[in-house]
Amino acid sequence: MTLFSLARKNIARNFSQYFLYIASMVFSIVIYFTFVTLKYSDTIAEKTASSQKLDSLMSGAAVILIFFVAIFIAYSNSFFMKKRKKEVALYALLGVRNRQIGFMLFFENLLLGLVSLGVGVVLGFLCSKGFMTILIHLMGYDVIAPFTFSGSAALNTAIVFLIIFLVTSFQGYRLIYQFKLIDLFHASKKGEAVPKPSMIVAIFGVLLIAIGYWLAMQDIYTSKVWEKVGFLMTALIILTTVIVGTFLLFHSVTDFLLAVIKKNERWLWKGLHLMTISQLLYRVRGNARTLTVIAVLSATTVTTGGAVYSLYYNTNDQVMTANPNSFMYEQMDAKTDQQISAVLSETKYDESIEALSVTFNTKEFNEALIFNSSDKRIYTVINEKTYNKLAAIQGKEKLHVNEDNAVILDIGYDKRFSPKYKGKTITTENNTAITFQSFKKQTVLNVGTVGIAVVVSNDQFKTLQEEGEVLKYRVIGVDQASIDLSKKMAKELPEEALFSSAPQDFQTGIEIVGSLLFIGSFLGLVFLAATGSIIYFKVLTEAEEDKSQYNILHKMGVSAKEMRKSIASQVFVIFFVPLAVGLLHSAIALKAFSSLLMLDLAKPVLIWMIAYTVIYGLYYILTVASYNRIITQNNRTEG
Amino acid sequence: MEPLLKVENIKKTYGKSSATYTALENISFDIHEGEFVGIMGPSGAGKSTLLNMLATIDSPTEGKIYMNDTSIHDMKEAALADFRRDNLGFIFQDYNLLDSLTVKENILLPLAIAKIPAKEINSLVTRISKVFGIEDLLAKYPYQISGGQKQRTAAARALVTEPVLILADEPTGALDSKSATDLLESLSKLNENNNSTIMMVTHDAYAASFCRRIIFIKDGALSTEIYRRDQTRKAFFQEILDVLATIGGEVDDVI
Repeated sequence: MTLFSLARKNIARNFSQYFLYIASMVFSIVIYFTFVTLKYSDTIAEKTASSQKLDSLMSGAAVILIFFVAIFIAYSNSFFMKKRKKEVALYALLGVRNRQIGFMLFFENLLLGLVSLGVGVVLGFLCSKGFMTILIHLMGYDVIAPFTFSGSAALNTAIVFLIIFLVTSFQGYRLIYQFKLIDLFHASKKGEAVPKPSMIVAIFGVLLIAIGYWLAMQDIYTSKVWEKVGFLMTALIILTTVIVGTFLLFHSVTDFLLAVIKKNERWLWKGLHLMTISQLLYRVRGNARTLTVIAVLSATTVTTGGAVYSLYYNTNDQVMTANPNSFMYEQMDAKTDQQISAVLSETKYDESIEALSVTFNTKEFNEALIFNSSDKRIYTVINEKTYNKLAAIQGKEKLHVNEDNAVILDIGYDKRFSPKYKGKTITTENNTAITFQSFKKQTVLNVGTVGIAVVVSNDQFKTLQEEGEVLKYRVIGVDQASIDLSKKMAKELPEEALFSSAPQDFQTGIEIVGSLLFIGSFLGLVFLAATGSIIYFKVLTEAEEDKSQYNILHKMGVSAKEMRKSIASQVFVIFFVPLAVGLLHSAIALKAFSSLLMLDLAKPVLIWMIAYTVIYGLYYILTVASYNRIITQNNRTEG
Repeated sequence: MEPLLKVENIKKTYGKSSATYTALENISFDIHEGEFVGIMGPSGAGKSTLLNMLATIDSPTEGKIYMNDTSIHDMKEAALADFRRDNLGFIFQDYNLLDSLTVKENILLPLAIAKIPAKEINSLVTRISKVFGIEDLLAKYPYQISGGQKQRTAAARALVTEPVLILADEPTGALDSKSATDLLESLSKLNENNNSTIMMVTHDAYAASFCRRIIFIKDGALSTEIYRRDQTRKAFFQEILDVLATIGGEVDDVI
């Protein structure tokens, strides 16, 4: 019997420990392989030939993925190695040379890596169809995902992971050289000093976060700070202050709060409260770095995910705002109109409207405007009657325009860059003046065909007819207009007809945003899994260290139920304090994002946050269960 | 006759400049082949530190330890590993058995490391397990046996290679008196019959009374030493208690 066969036996019997490690490696490989398969997929490539961006987007995402997968594997590797310290020390003490131990760990690690790689690629292959179906669905296509094995994806995955495994195996090799034998035996017995909370550091941490938040909430376009410091610099300052502040928060503020709790003896000296609070005091500060990483990872995941999901969620609304009519085009000749009518079967409405294209002198707009623009603007002009007719069909409010006045329909209105319309007067070349009585952020004409429209009174319209080009538009409303119908119509119409179509716009939008959502969710899932696993490993390492303490409690007659309660609340703090901080960070970031894009993100962001919290909560339950199992098992064997 | 082990002027300090703490100072003694030496002293006297240095898992700040005229702390890592494999056997207070290996596999681990042929391993393991009375437990796992049985397994593992020097750190510390007596009698038998050299750290006078010679340490320095010679174990036990009383060590675990 050789040492290697004993080591192999040890692997087989310690399978549960190895399983966790192999499982986290397999998970990483499945995720990466699936992602790369999608990247190399012909089906996706064909469908998205129009949007070249997807490919570079996915390449970028793949790099981020490699980065995280590497960190994640390194983390689980070090956790796994820690558990084997005792075994390694025993080998050394019994006279195995360091080199031999190093090689054993190296090859064992490499072997585990290769096994995981094989399993991961097979599982990834099975999963790829599912993921591809999701991607295709999100992008709004109606094709069936193929079941093909991508050789280049497998090769890519193999190379990336072999490099990662070589590095981690080398770490394993070095383990024996990094420690003195005496440390390997007594590593866990060393005591740490109980931290002393510092008020100043605590205040400083909160202050840093406040500064970061304040900067983030400033309006990027109008803020003096952003202007002075520069865009990139301010963004960097926000990141730094928030991350450092978060670290100090975990380092001191939580300590401070716990120390305050500790003063309340009436509450503290009841059951296991004392144990819970002391343990936390001991743990939170030592784990400040990990907790910061978790908070920042959560914030990143929720922010990107929330932002992308909001875009996806709002795509329909935006398309509806820009295309109040399913279809609209400029009428050229009767023949084309007939051809279009032939294609259309059922319509909700099908109207022909008259409009004017007029060039205005808009000098008055340019006062107090950030971006200089020309003095001349071309607007599409319609009369009040036409507006009200369309508004009635589309279920919008009626409008009354006073003589010589006008209402402008600008869906892109943004008080920061758009002209202050109200009260401003614009003139035609013949000096016919019209004054804006108000503006509306919705329109009745498709923006893609007419641009910004101006509604004038019926009489004014007649006057202006002399000065502008008269145009005829056909506006069509169809219930559940399909992309096929839109394509058929587009084929009949010449380029100059300025055909605009809600289903086509929706398709284009969803194609980009859908793939963004997919990549965002995919990365989000990876981040989440990585975050959850990091805490899981961390907490379980502590459970191994603390099990003797719980054994003492057990011997003192503390019931299993009380211990479970104490464990659950300790782990709860470790899990949900960084989550709460992360969610707060992302809420601020998303608030900034929403005011930047002028979108209301509350609902989609909330949905996203809840989804994240629920999956995160599952990790919490799993961790508490594993922790309890370690403690009860130990109590049973130790008596 | 040359001594097997020569400890020369050992000093061990912990910590840096201002906050140094001296664990051991001025320790010198010899151990000859076939001796059964006990190291006694109150808690914190530096017993375990001394044993760790003899075990080569810790190194002295000053001074040297020679085994067969080789300074063990001047050896290179690979030579040191071989040295441990070929010369030393360890018994710890907390057993240090691998939970995933059976009793038999735990015992044969050092033989496997020394690349002994399988046939020989079987006979060696059978022989040593008989000495410690654990031949019926060989197929069991550590978590299936009692503390005393675990410690006898650990002792069997330490002795199966017939090491030149056996080092035991409070081997009876976690055992009840029956298990402790079994283990100590086994060690004593090995010392008498096989001429094994054993060095045992203990704070328990009863355990120490099985030794042939006892070195007392107090506050990091050698205090005194006594030999059993022809006394009965009981008389020797009484002598140990007397010495402990004079040097002010704690007296506990009376029979």
